[in-house]
Amino acid sequence: MFPWVYGFKWSAGHLIFLSVFFSVLGTVSGSVVTAAFRSAKDLRQRTADAMRWEMEFEELPRKARSCRHEITGEVRHRTCDHEFDCRTCSVHPTFLAQAAATSRPEDPAAGTFGLAMPTDRLYHRGHAWVKPEGDGTCTIGLDDFGARLVGTPDAVELPLPGTHLNANGTGWHFVRGGERLRILSPVDGEVLKQGSMDQGWLLRVRADDSEPATRHLLRGGEVRPWIMHELERLEFSLGSSGVGATLADGGEMVSDLRAAYPGVAWESFCSPFFLEG
Amino acid sequence: MDSEHGKNARFGMVIDLDRCDGCGACMIACAVENNVPPGHASATERTGITWMRVAAVESGQEYPAADVAFVPMFCQQCENETPCISVCPQNAVEIDPATGIVGQIPQRCLGCRYCMTACPYHARYFNWRDPAWPEGMDRQLNPDVSPRMRGVAEKCNFCHGRLHAAKAKAAAKGSREIDPADYVPACVESCFQNAIVFGDLNDHESEVAKLARGADTFRFLSRLGSEPKVYFHSTRPWVKEMAESTLTRSKKENGHG
Amino acid sequence: MDSTLIPRGLERASFGKFLLWILPWAALFGVGLYAMYLCLADGLYHTNMDNRFAFGLWIYLDLTVIALGAGAFFTGFLLYILHRRELSAVINSAVVLGLICYSGAVVVLMVDVGQPLRAWFTFWHPNVHSMLTEVTFCLTCYLLVLAIEYAPIVLKNRRLRQVPRFLAFEFELHKVMPVLAGVGTFLSFFHQGSLGGLYGVLRGRPFAFREELGIWPSTFFLFVVSAAAAGPSFVLLTTWLVQKITRKQLVENEVFMFLGKVSGIMLLVYVFLKAVDTLVWINSTSPAAGFPAFEYYARTSFGTWILFTEIVLLGLVPALILVSGRLRAKPAWLFSAALMTCLGIMLNRFVMTIQTLALPTLPFDEFLSYAPSWEEVATFLAVLAYGVLIYSLTFRYTVLFPQERDLLKH
Repeated sequence: MFPWVYGFKWSAGHLIFLSVFFSVLGTVSGSVVTAAFRSAKDLRQRTADAMRWEMEFEELPRKARSCRHEITGEVRHRTCDHEFDCRTCSVHPTFLAQAAATSRPEDPAAGTFGLAMPTDRLYHRGHAWVKPEGDGTCTIGLDDFGARLVGTPDAVELPLPGTHLNANGTGWHFVRGGERLRILSPVDGEVLKQGSMDQGWLLRVRADDSEPATRHLLRGGEVRPWIMHELERLEFSLGSSGVGATLADGGEMVSDLRAAYPGVAWESFCSPFFLEG
Repeated sequence: MDSEHGKNARFGMVIDLDRCDGCGACMIACAVENNVPPGHASATERTGITWMRVAAVESGQEYPAADVAFVPMFCQQCENETPCISVCPQNAVEIDPATGIVGQIPQRCLGCRYCMTACPYHARYFNWRDPAWPEGMDRQLNPDVSPRMRGVAEKCNFCHGRLHAAKAKAAAKGSREIDPADYVPACVESCFQNAIVFGDLNDHESEVAKLARGADTFRFLSRLGSEPKVYFHSTRPWVKEMAESTLTRSKKENGHG
Repeated sequence: MDSTLIPRGLERASFGKFLLWILPWAALFGVGLYAMYLCLADGLYHTNMDNRFAFGLWIYLDLTVIALGAGAFFTGFLLYILHRRELSAVINSAVVLGLICYSGAVVVLMVDVGQPLRAWFTFWHPNVHSMLTEVTFCLTCYLLVLAIEYAPIVLKNRRLRQVPRFLAFEFELHKVMPVLAGVGTFLSFFHQGSLGGLYGVLRGRPFAFREELGIWPSTFFLFVVSAAAAGPSFVLLTTWLVQKITRKQLVENEVFMFLGKVSGIMLLVYVFLKAVDTLVWINSTSPAAGFPAFEYYARTSFGTWILFTEIVLLGLVPALILVSGRLRAKPAWLFSAALMTCLGIMLNRFVMTIQTLALPTLPFDEFLSYAPSWEEVATFLAVLAYGVLIYSLTFRYTVLFPQERDLLKH
């Protein structure tokens, strides 16, 4: 093993064998040590939330990762490969240009399946909405689809004013029956004030509401097909949870899913819709 | 072949199968000399430790031609690509270039038994149990040979205790060369029939070298190319034929089966 | 009860039902542990091995499970080095199987040797010419690699992931995975090979001895190729078995087909090489050592049928089924062929270990038989139970099959 061990012979066999062995050991331990160092660095430089999102995005069901342009029907099949961050996506602008060239008038009469989805807001894929207030601040809340999934929570754990939020990072939590449900933050920004469920908004944040900063949020004519897509997913989920298909076309989503289906594990059932892996 | 420690020897044996009557004295002498513990009550031919093992081989012919040969089988001290040396993962088997003796180092042995599967002569033994001597018998243990612990392999080493004694005696006289008369393994000494001749095969004038070169001398499994240093001698044709053949016994077995 | 530990969106049996499944295996494992204790504390006389049959059931088990566990390195090689993305559906399962097989083999080896506390001697003064040294070094290193590859699967558990350090470590471990897969492939090549060489170098056992190619006997290369054939088949079979037991679809059918195809191609190469090797051995190697090859088979129990079964029935036949796209598409054919592949490799390891030792070498020796003692069988079964336990726990609490959630029946 080592030249100082009694009986060690310097032969070609020993040299080859031991150098291979030590290179392997070096490579393996080197990789692990590198991973450990880099993870320590990661924890200093970026938030655990960002890493978590990057990993969990990969693990989301394929249907939850559909590109917004697939949902609107602009492209037949496309799964997002950019963790829902259209701000830095290279494909998104080309779709926008295409859409501008062949712009169709939106049909405001077409409802959103009985869900209240006001058009003055921008929607995050994790069912949080953002409403620019015109003074450099935005209010953030949970959209109607999300609200019906969550029902009446026992508590809402909101971040304290001064907290910095990251888009696709943790926004806040709902607690119900001892289970915690995470909602992703739709924008980057600093929390200014906490709201409540009754006020209709949950957080007021100082955030950039100009175009490139909110490019990843859904708006206007995208909302209807997206809600349809989400209702489809919901229907699939309910089907596989053993409660049977109950949301036939034309029906409306019940106002508190948990109350309607007490047998469903609330947190595991809801979290895929809030993009938790 | 000379080294700084004097002339290199190649110790070997020639066993006359026509003289051996299968009395088994060599087996006893070997076990006593080398502190091999008596077998446990449940030990069988295959689990007991017998560095030296005498096998009775029948000619397979009908009376009156029926005949039997007794073949003492033990470590054949292979010289070329010694099967047990190359397989040992931790150098617990070594061949001494000064004597040509294949030595087992029990203190280093892991007990993996790879050497036992490698040995074509089945001359290696494993300590399946802790060695134990009955009350009183432990008092006649040989102080020159250390007993082996459970879980290691062991085998014939041409009585290395006696080799060391002979070396010490030579050293006391200021000589590097041992006197052949001082180094005689226990089996050789105990053989009533004088069937075993032991000595240095490198010494062309020695009796063992002459016999090894002589007619009617053969080695078992010589075609494996391992160049064992234990020779056998017989003038009986069927014995020679048996030694040359490979699986003669199998044909007989098949006849029964 | 343990629902907060179960990955989201996956359906798992109730905790009580899971306990009912686990308990018999745990009991079997316990019996095996007791048998191991007897052998370690009391001596190896508890086994039915002896001086003539110095290797028995355990060595057979080691060679077999390591061949079957080869799925871990070969799947990793195809996924990370050759970028066959479809295999990401089974890589976690392959890693777990590999870890089970290798750690099981190492534990059994530790019971098998007479002085396990001296195992480090091999590292301290290794004999670099011994195949067993190569096996020891590569096995130890590869077990380390497998443990590191297994870590992210465990860290994926949703409770562990809430610890930021674990999360970041898992995140970074994923990035070094290709390096580890490369090292694993390199190590596997050598230890699969040297396990084959283990018997191929035995000059004193002409039944096992093979010609040298370079510094290794031909069995070195045969074992590498056959392990690469058996590994994917074993991953395929276990995945199918888990699907049957849990009554869920876990991976897409294309993945099964691809595994079958890989296995079939490797098996076809293996059968060809094995046939060439056998012919050389019959006509040259064995007669040169003084043993006409057919004398080995002139035994009532181990006749030439065993050679025919090994190479044709459980070699060529499944290989042809698996490489044929039409037959492979039929599940019954696919799974039978995968089973036959595994059985064929198991038979090969049996022939190499047990038949080699059963055959006499000295002209006056007899054909030997050996039947394992209950302690040996219990230890053998303990490895099986250990595998089921580890696999079940991993299956329940981590995402073993990433496609499972997407494949939930609606």
